[in-house]
Amino acid sequence: MSLEIQSRQADNGVTVVAPTGRLDVAGAPTLKEAISEALKNGPPRVVLDMEGISFVDSTGLGSVIAALKQIRSSQGDLRLAAPNQQVRVVLELTTLDRVFPYFSTVEEALTGF
Amino acid sequence: MGTRTEPFEFHATFSELDEGLEKLHESVQLLREASGRTPEDTNVMHFEIALAEIGANVLTHGRPNHVDPPVEYDLELDHDTAKASFIDRGPAVVDFATRAMPDAESESGRGLPMARWLLDELIYKREGEVNKWRLVKRL
Repeated sequence: MSLEIQSRQADNGVTVVAPTGRLDVAGAPTLKEAISEALKNGPPRVVLDMEGISFVDSTGLGSVIAALKQIRSSQGDLRLAAPNQQVRVVLELTTLDRVFPYFSTVEEALTGF
Repeated sequence: MGTRTEPFEFHATFSELDEGLEKLHESVQLLREASGRTPEDTNVMHFEIALAEIGANVLTHGRPNHVDPPVEYDLELDHDTAKASFIDRGPAVVDFATRAMPDAESESGRGLPMARWLLDELIYKREGEVNKWRLVKRL
């Protein structure tokens, strides 16, 4: 199942990037491309809506770290929203939950962003 | 756990990354059904994470010339223990036993340390020109 991505601009100008499928070694390049595109077209504030991600592996996670670094180098920030149980397990195992505090919903992630 | 377990075996050969990853996840879903586990079952989830990490590594590096024989994959459920193996003909993995979890800024290198943590056994052997991986997880 290849990764498909939809992006939209929220009312407060934040870009919401919503991938669907597996964010793994095969899908990671697609996410990197979508984040680069979002930074070209909007302010460097991005919510990654993970509700549609069924599975993440370490390479997929690496693409999220790359996105965070790219966005922070533009003085922006990235928030993760709605990760499923498997994504949360991987974030916790790798202690990256300390780098990426996540929000339960996209609406929560957009609040005050 | 009070789960039912049916005999389960899965064999496949992979030549392509996408196809291989799809089959790996499909095999775990079949194992989940055979062992009567739910999608939320943590042990099966941990096994699937480790399997996907080693599988991605094998599928990415195991056929460097794309003309080599396909990667061989086996999965079985032995009572309440999941056992998987991969055989590939890629280059040897030199730092298998010593690779540590990288720092938070790193974009790669977490796969092997994660798999070691999540499995009861992760065995790697180089035999001649062949890499052999064995993954074991008590469910």
